Amino acid sequence: MKALVFVASGALFGFLLSAARATDYTAIHGMFLLKDLHLFGVIGVAVATAALGLWLVRRAGVRALGGTPISLAHKPFHNAVFAGGIVFGIGWALSGTCPGTALAQLGEGKAYALATVLGIVGGTWLRQRQTSPPKVA
Amino acid sequence: MTLDWPFWIAGACIGGFVPLFALVSGKLLGISSGYSELCSIAKPAGPERWKLWFALGLPLGGFAASGLAGTHRLETVAEPVRAALGVGDVATLALLVVGGALIGYGARTAGGCTSGHSIVGLALGAKSSLVATLGFMAGGFAATWALVALTGGAA
Repeated sequence: MKALVFVASGALFGFLLSAARATDYTAIHGMFLLKDLHLFGVIGVAVATAALGLWLVRRAGVRALGGTPISLAHKPFHNAVFAGGIVFGIGWALSGTCPGTALAQLGEGKAYALATVLGIVGGTWLRQRQTSPPKVA
Repeated sequence: MTLDWPFWIAGACIGGFVPLFALVSGKLLGISSGYSELCSIAKPAGPERWKLWFALGLPLGGFAASGLAGTHRLETVAEPVRAALGVGDVATLALLVVGGALIGYGARTAGGCTSGHSIVGLALGAKSSLVATLGFMAGGFAATWALVALTGGAA
């Protein structure tokens, strides 16, 4: 039942990414070439709206449905954040997608995004293996 | 082309999704770590298992949006990549696979992606997310301009 709520949430978010043209290689390529500023506008408005909404959530001090506390913790900072960000950015430019939009692309019929998704799984697996070496039984 | 909503409507909906999702689930949106869950699927489900479910929903949304826009069709070759860089099928495929690998490796190193860092983290005013986003943009701009210089751009 809980899983279904998350699948539905993911579907709504995937719909919004698609409607925002964030699943369009040309839009992302054009953004980095400064030829098409549409996605910069989307990201800017999204950050401002989310900031306002999260501020209201924090101020109201409410709990989530079912009484679970809402976690608003920052992601931890460490020295590899910037370098990891650069590596991610290069991949973002090469494939013209990010982790979420690659999956939404699959639903749009862009079967070629399967190559991107498999790449992401491989890169994730490699990094996880490096940071947590498999235990010897 | 998909639905192509104006940037401020699409941006407000994506941004508004974040607090609504927090109110419903108690959680902050994040996508790249869903791939980690997939990589550790054989292990017992931990507190992050919801990210896998969320990730599985994303294609359904893309399907609905492209269906509504009347643009749903099967595309096996990334024509936009070919058109933008004037490269062949093999190079196009390689760009997607290598790009994907860098995305996965970089996101796990930086601790998040464009959703978790650049939308949610920036909205929270987190230092790590600002630094990560600056990295995303630096890498993205540098790689795009380098690629266009190397390939000569649109054929």
